Amino acid sequence: MADQHTPKSKAQLDEEFSELYRAHLRDVYSYAYYRVGNHHDAEDLTEQTFLQAYRHFERAQRESAGRPLRPWLIRIAHNLAANLYRDRSRKPASPIEDSTPLADPHTTEELVEEREELSRILNGVEELPDDRREALIMRFALGMDNREIARALGRSDGATKVLIHRAIKQLEGIVNEGASDD
Amino acid sequence: MTEAASSSNFEGLLRQALAPVEPPEDLAQRLESTLTSLTELAVGELEAWELSAMRDPRNWVRPAAAVVVGSTAGVALVLLRARRRIS
Repeated sequence: MADQHTPKSKAQLDEEFSELYRAHLRDVYSYAYYRVGNHHDAEDLTEQTFLQAYRHFERAQRESAGRPLRPWLIRIAHNLAANLYRDRSRKPASPIEDSTPLADPHTTEELVEEREELSRILNGVEELPDDRREALIMRFALGMDNREIARALGRSDGATKVLIHRAIKQLEGIVNEGASDD
Repeated sequence: MTEAASSSNFEGLLRQALAPVEPPEDLAQRLESTLTSLTELAVGELEAWELSAMRDPRNWVRPAAAVVVGSTAGVALVLLRARRRIS
């Protein structure tokens, strides 16, 4: 086992950063896309996230004590997105585009129904408070578990579990309400 | 339908609605390009720095930071390019 107190060579750090980048580019991009709602800002946010991660990579590795760094990356993206909105004093200007491939629709009618349902869900996600929306993005778009989400949001595991449960319930309520209005 | 089944179904739909989004192909190129720019900026910083200013130790921090940014970004860039060639 490597001695954790021995500083790594720069080449080794760069190699490991390169691996981190390749492993999580899609995660960071997905998070950014659902957070800001458009591809242009999502690309900027992803770029800034990796540049900032690169600057602090060595320290993050030291302090993570071998734990996965995905929550740390997402936390960087989360903070940068918050700054973006603070600077522009706005929320996403347009609804999130639905770029989801549908799962084996059998008929045109089913396809339309499924598309509408997914669209209602996406719109509902946007209506959630920020922390609930982010927790759902991390869980369902990135497949993060409670512990990872807790680390990314700076909360306890228990509080995160409650947050996700309430977010799903609230979203279900919004979607059902929208469906009954149609 | 039971509440558990309904909840599970809703989570399935939620998973579909929030499917992972593939980054555009040119994003990796943009990232590399940004790292290259950082490297060039760092070199420029050093070249533009007047040697006379270096007599004052208070001015040493900025060029030293430029060296760090330039060299680290450069190596990362080479690694990313090498990886892309392999894959």
